[in-house]
Formats: sequence, C-alpha cells, structure tokens
Amino acid sequence: MNNRISTGMMFSQSVATMLAKQARLAHLEQQLATGKRLVTAKDDPVAAGTAVGLDRAAAELERFGRNADNVQNRLGLQENSLAQAGDMMARANELAIQANNASLSADDRKAVSAELQSIRDGLLSLANATDGAGRYLFAGAADATAPFPESGGTVAYSGDQTQRRVEVAPETYVADALPGSEIFMRIRTGDGSVDAHAAAANTGTGLLTDFGREASSGSWNGGSYQVRFTAADAYEIVDGGGSVVSTGSFAAGEDIVFNGLRMHVEGQPAAGDAFDIGAASSRDVFSTLQGLIDTLQTDSVTPVETAARQNALQSAMRDLSRASERMIDARASGGAQLAGLDNAAELREASSVTLQTTLSSLRDLDYAGAIGQYKLESAALQAAQTLFSQMQAMSLFNTIR
Amino acid sequence: MSNVLSTGTGALIAFQRALSTVSHNVANINTEGYSRQRSEFATRTPTDYGFGYVGSGTRITDVQRVADQLAISRLLDSGGELARLQQLSGLSDRVDTLFSDTATNLAGVWSNFFDSASALSSNASSSAERRNLLDNAGALATRFRQLSAQLDGLSDEVDNGLTAGADEVNRLAGEIARLNGQIGSGAANASPDLLDRRDQLISELVGHTGGSAVSQDGGAVNVYTAGGQALVVGSNASTMIMAADPYQPGRLQLALRTQGADVALDSRAVGGQLGGLLEFRSGLLDPTRAELGRIATGLAASFNDAHRQGMDLYGAMGGDFFTIPAPAVTGHRGNGGSATLSAAVGDMGALDGQNLLLSFDGSQWSASRADTGASVPLSGTGTAADPLRANGIEVTVGGSAASGDRFLLQPTAGVAGGLSLAVTDPSSIAAASPVKAGADLGNLGSGSIGRPTVTDASHPALLSPAAIEFIDANQYTLDGAGPYAYSAGQTISANGWSVVVEGAPMAGDTFTVGATGADSSDNGNARLLAAVENAKAFNGGTVTLNGAIAGLTTAVGSAARQADYSAQAQTVINDQAQAARDAVSGVNLDEEAADMLKLQQAYQAASQIIATADTLFQSILSAVRR
Repeated sequence: MNNRISTGMMFSQSVATMLAKQARLAHLEQQLATGKRLVTAKDDPVAAGTAVGLDRAAAELERFGRNADNVQNRLGLQENSLAQAGDMMARANELAIQANNASLSADDRKAVSAELQSIRDGLLSLANATDGAGRYLFAGAADATAPFPESGGTVAYSGDQTQRRVEVAPETYVADALPGSEIFMRIRTGDGSVDAHAAAANTGTGLLTDFGREASSGSWNGGSYQVRFTAADAYEIVDGGGSVVSTGSFAAGEDIVFNGLRMHVEGQPAAGDAFDIGAASSRDVFSTLQGLIDTLQTDSVTPVETAARQNALQSAMRDLSRASERMIDARASGGAQLAGLDNAAELREASSVTLQTTLSSLRDLDYAGAIGQYKLESAALQAAQTLFSQMQAMSLFNTIR
Repeated sequence: MSNVLSTGTGALIAFQRALSTVSHNVANINTEGYSRQRSEFATRTPTDYGFGYVGSGTRITDVQRVADQLAISRLLDSGGELARLQQLSGLSDRVDTLFSDTATNLAGVWSNFFDSASALSSNASSSAERRNLLDNAGALATRFRQLSAQLDGLSDEVDNGLTAGADEVNRLAGEIARLNGQIGSGAANASPDLLDRRDQLISELVGHTGGSAVSQDGGAVNVYTAGGQALVVGSNASTMIMAADPYQPGRLQLALRTQGADVALDSRAVGGQLGGLLEFRSGLLDPTRAELGRIATGLAASFNDAHRQGMDLYGAMGGDFFTIPAPAVTGHRGNGGSATLSAAVGDMGALDGQNLLLSFDGSQWSASRADTGASVPLSGTGTAADPLRANGIEVTVGGSAASGDRFLLQPTAGVAGGLSLAVTDPSSIAAASPVKAGADLGNLGSGSIGRPTVTDASHPALLSPAAIEFIDANQYTLDGAGPYAYSAGQTISANGWSVVVEGAPMAGDTFTVGATGADSSDNGNARLLAAVENAKAFNGGTVTLNGAIAGLTTAVGSAARQADYSAQAQTVINDQAQAARDAVSGVNLDEEAADMLKLQQAYQAASQIIATADTLFQSILSAVRR
C-alpha cells in the first residue's frame, strides 16, 4: 500500500465518481419518465426479446378483437334479416291456413294471394340484402352481385357456397354469414325426407292429409311409389319401374301402409286416381311461395277442383314449414357463432390480461424501487460534490501566507 | 571564511534549482503523462585539512524523473484495452438503440403489417383493408431499408474511423520513432520531459492500436500491435494503410505496410480504438446486417409463397408480393478465370446468413466460412440443373473458373436494403383461395363439401372446373373418371387441390370444385398470409419470423450489454493502473508545498550563512583597521 496519492488523481477520481453518478441518475430519470425498466434492449436483452414476441401477441389479440367486431356486425345483420324472414314465414303460414278455409270466396283467396305476393317480394329483398359495405350478405364469397336474381318468375342463386371463417382468437375461428343457398335454396319438401302428392289429373275428391315413414311395414328403400286406385275401394302400389308391388283395399280413415311408408287419404278417390310418394325433392322458398300464390289464384268451383286446391295447399304448407325450420336452423347457427364470438372475447380478455401482466413484469418500472434508487443516487451525488468542494479547499498552498 | 561564503552561495544556487524543480512540478500538474521530478542533493567534495575533512556544502547531482516502468506498462495495456472496449461499447449502444427505439425498430411496423393482413382476412373484399395492407407493407419495407441504410451508415463511420485512426497511428508512430532517435541508447541521460513525451505518445498510439511497448537496450522503445505486428522499431515506423477489400472494392480494410507486402489487420491483430472498430464491424455490424437480411429474405419468400397460392380481385393467381435482391456473389480481384456466379435462396430453413468463401481448385468447388475459415459442406456441380448448394443457397456457375479462383458469397448481407413491394394495386392482393367448392342445389343427400385446400398452386389444371358425382352412396366419379369408393370424411384430391366430403350423399348428388373467380370476398388466402409470421421458416423449421425478430433484438442487446460490462470492468482496471502509476509519478501539491517551504527555509538559512560570512569578514576588517 502506497500512501502517496497525486493531486491530479484526487481530482480526476472525484470527477469520475460524479460523472458516474450523473450517468446513473440520467438513466434513472429516463426510466422514471418513460415508466419502463427497459430503456433499450441492453438493459435486459432476454426480457427485451421476449417482450417483442409478447407485444406482437398482444397486438394480435387486439386485432382479433376488431376482426370479431367485423364478423359480429355481419352476423348481427344476418340475425336481423333472419328474424324478419321468420316473421314473414309465420305470416305466410297463417295466410295459407286462412286460405285453406272452405268458407273463403275466390276474391278472399285472391286478397290472400296478394299479401303472399308481397311477402315473397319482401323475402327476396331480404335475401338480396347488403352488409352495409356494398357487399351482399347472403351470397357466400361471390358477394359482388345480387345473389338471387329473378327471371321469368324463377329465382336462381348466383352466389357461391363459401362460408368465410375468420380468426377471432388464436386458432379460434368463427364462421361468417351463411351463404344464401343454405337458407333460401335447397329446402327439402314434404316432411324432409318423404314427400307425397296427389296426381294432377285426379278426378275424385281424395285428400292426401298425412304421410310419412312407417317402420312396422319394413324399411323404406328410398324409392318412389304410386298408389293407384283401381276402384273406389281398391288400390295397387306401383314402384318406380312400373311393376305392381302390392295391392290393397281402401277404406276411408284407414292408413295405406307398404314398404316402410304410410299414406293417409280422406274423401273419396275415384278409380284411376293416383297419389305419388317418394323421396322428398328440394325446392327454394320462393318457388314454394310462388306455387302457393298460383294455387290461390286459380278458380276452384267443383268439388274435384276444391280437392285439388286443398291438396296443393296442404303440400305448400308442409313445404313452408320446412322453409321456416331452415330459417330457424340458420338463425340458430348464426347464434352459435355469436356465442362463439363471446367465448372468443372472454378468451382474448383473459389472454390479454395475462400477456399485459407478463409484459409489465418484464418491462415496466418498479416506481417505488426506482424512486428510492433515484433519491439514493442523488444523495450520493450531493455527497460527492460536497466532498469535492471540501477536498479542493484542502491545499497546503492555501495555508501558506 | 571563503569556505563559508562558497558553501552558502552553493546552497543558495542548489535550493534555487530545487525550487525551480518544485515549480516545474506544480506547473505541470495538468500535463498528461507528466512524471514528477525530484532534485537529488549530494555533498560537495570535502576539503582535507589534515585534521580531517571539512564539508564544503551541497550540490544538485541530478534531477530525477520518478517513474515506475512496470506501472507505466500496466497502464499502457489497460489503456489500450479500455479504448477498444469503449469504442465497441459506444458503437454497440447505437445499434442497440436503433433496434430498441420504437421509432426506428422493426417490431412496431412488423406488427402493424401482420395486423393488417389479419384485418384483410376479416373483410377480404374491402378496398380500405387492402389499401391498408399495402400501406403497412410499404412502411415495413421502408423500415427494412432504413435500418439497412443506418447500418450501412455505421459501416461508413467505421471506415472513416479506421482511415482517421490509421492517419493518427502513422503520425504517432513517426513521432515516437523520431524521439527514439533523439533519445538514442542513453535513456538515463535523456531529458525526463522527453521520456515523458515519448511515454505519452506511446500511450496514445497504444490507445489506437492496443499492444505493448518494449524497451530495447535501455534506450529506444519498440511498439507492437496486440497481434504482435511491429509499429515502431527503433527509429523506424511502419505505415498503416487503408486498402480496398479484395472481394468488395467499396469496403476498406486496415493493413500494415511492411517490406514488400501489405498485411491485412483484423480485429485479432489490432486492439485499441481501431480494434474496437474492427471488432464492432465483424462481431456486431456484419452479423446484424446479415440477420436483418435473413429476416427480410424470410419475410419476402414466405409471404410471396403464400401470396402466389391465392387469387386476386381480378380472378388471377397472385404473384410476388415483395421483391428482394438475390444473394450477392463477388469474385476476388485476383481471380484468373472468367466465371461469374449467381446465387439464389434455395432452402430457407438452412439459410444462416453467414458469409462464405467459395474456392475452385481446378476441378472441385469448396466452401468455407469467411470469418472463421471453417469448412462448410457443399454439394452440386454448379450447373443450372445441379447448382452448388451450401447453407441453403444455390449458386450457378457461368463461364469457367480458373484454379485458385475465390468468390465471396454474402447470402443476406445488404439485401434488406433492396426490399420493396411488387404489388401496387390493392385489387392485386391475392386474398381469396383460388378454388371454391359447392354442392349442387338439387342434391338430396346430407353430404357436404368442405373448403378446398390448395396443395400445388402451380398445377396447370388448378382452376379447371371439376365435378364429383355420386353414383350411389358409396361411390363417386371425378370428372367422369372412376368410380372411386367413398367413405364419409374422405379427402378427395385432384388438380392441385384437395377437399373433404362429409356426410351421406345420395345417388346423383354432385359437388363441384372450380375457380373462385373475380371480385370474390373469400378470405381463404388472407388467413394464410396472416399466418406467415408464425410459420417456422428458419433454422430447419424451428424458428418463426416473429422468433427471429425477437432473437435479433436479444442478440443486439446482449452484444451491447456485454460490451458495456466489459468496458465498465476495464474502466475499473484502468483506474487502478492509473492510480498505481500516479501514486509513483503523479504530482501532489501538498507535497510540493511542503518541499517548497522546506527549500524556501533552507534558502533563507543559506542566505543567513552568507550574512554570517559577511559579519565574520566585517569583524576581521574592523580588527585590522585599527
């Protein structure tokens, strides 16, 4: 240990101490002003790198939130449209029941058909609704043009069947609005699997009131059959190939049961009358409504014509029910997506809180600690300054006079 | 009596001289590298009077420079190292700030860009979202270019620093050599101030180059760089020059001009400020530029791949979204052959951004790392069909190489500066899947078709319509071909797409797959674009683009932190060395004040002796006057 120390060293050491304290204070000041522990990555390289990833994840969550808003907007529009469509379908059903009342005059039925016409037009406008951004809501991804163009009384579907999926939380997708084809088109007729009709040329007053599948008579192979009356009280059943598969005798009020199918005919069919039963076809809601309107607009005076009208009305009402069910299904599916959005929002919220907590612990400043540190450093700086002024006053030269 | 007088005057002169040494010390308290001086007193030769020797006063034998050569060389060592680390730390801090500050770093605009891709996937037909994606992509490409330009600017600064440093080294070395000549072989007889001056110059020189100073025969001091290259030997100084890099004419290399040849100096051969500059360039700047380029390359390649799989609003398949320059290959200026090499990125997963040296031995090509010289596996022959492959880069050789020709391959360095947008029209963003599937509206079964996935976007028949027709519940035909057996949930693939059919289709049911067409709001490809950031593109499929950005931030931060820590540690060491040197050689004012007082009083005493001699003389005179 050398007791000798140079005056220059004393000065430069004191200055170096003060400079170091000042640099430390400047760093603390910067930390306090920004509230961040990490001013640059140098302060904690690993935490800074981790924070880059977490920042991105947090930004992504926020973006997912806005994505969800977009989808929610469109699903909300779909919900409104379908609710309105549901009301229209209910009214159409009411009108069909009303029209089925035998006491209605031809003029009354025409009035009913006029209202049905306006319902059909309203439904078509709904189907061609836009999403508020100039794109058609029910057109799948081909939504630049109206998806349901009408020509010659027939409504076609020009959209596609793409249902967009949007990421609303990490790896969580929500389906956007349904394509119109899944709501308004391709609706199974009859009871959804079996459909039956009275032949158009029937001359009796036989009314087809009910039909369906009947397991007691074996299993239905999916084929089409015709119940053909050979006499007023006898029928034969012909399959799609034209061969007779069975015969039976008809009594009013009794079901006709064969090959897994059941049919209930009331009234009095005439010999030569036929009733077709088979796999349900698919039809769009607009042609169902149009069929109903056409039926109501035809004059029906004779009992035979009345029976034909009633058969047609029954058939149309069944088809309307299927269409209503389809819209309810569509609403339910939209509702499920909206619920999915809510779940995703909760998930985002929870993840976001976790991320922010982690980010905060990585990056944010512990104010209490930093302020304490700041006080300590400034006290130390003041002490160093005092010491310096004391020390520089202590020179032997000062005392030599 | 004359004896007393001469003793007194001798002492007066000696104390005067000693006082002037004290004042020299006090005057030089602020002189860098000054070593305090001390007057050495000795008795004059006494006179033999027979009865004994009578002293005849004092004289100054020497004005000695108080210096400890060991302490000085320790300070020299630590000073060189400190200069190197401070240079390195200062420059590293600038890169760290560049990558940490949200106003200049990549992370913010990067995040915005992928957010806008995600936004596009929620509203694929919106021209606002499309515009926004393009704007954010432009901002991202601009940020890449800015960062690249900033790093280029730092590289220029390093070049300028090296040039200025080399000039300074040459000046200092020349001066030291001149002083060596002046001092000659007799350091003991040389003026202390001259020795101080030389030590100070050496310490400045070593601050630039690192290294050590070795005394030779007690006279001249030779100075060597940290790598042992001689800078000053005796009265000869070497010349440091800036030579163009043989592979990259625009870049300067530090070299030492020795007899006949120039010896290139790298960061291992030089310490000090120059070493700090070189180490910053090779240890942080070059890797950072390479990594930035690698991320830019990864982004461009992955995003372009995804973009080419989609369909734009015009109904055309997407093209490249970003453009990025190909890896640079430059030949050594001494190459004898006519070969020109062109490179392209082949395997992103194997790309590591390291610069490679490709050399041709007359029949075979080989590759080695440019920085360490370690051999790197190389395959292929160099033809277009079978390019040379190393580290994920494919190199095609044009012309013919001569034996011994060398090329520098820079896979990613600098490419970030060339990143730009290839798409300018918002409608040309390929957000939609190119193919869509649908069920015929007359289908009676419960079968449903999923979204087709594009497996080969370049398949020539990708956009041709295809029909899947069910002959019965268990068999289908594909465009008339078949029948094929069907089971629910089956994947059907053709024409570069694959699609899943589920449920129970009935005989006669038809599903079609065909081109999505123009003006579609499909978001299938936008989802793929948004997912690019999380695709594991790097390091053999283990690191995502996001991961690479986080990694770059950490790497730059670590380098700056390490340099800072080392510089702080070296500061302490240097302070100790400085304290050790100053403890011996530094001037202490109190000490000088005490010396001054002592000498002043001695001077007064000596004056008194002269007065006494005068009194003696006067009393003799008065005695003989009577």
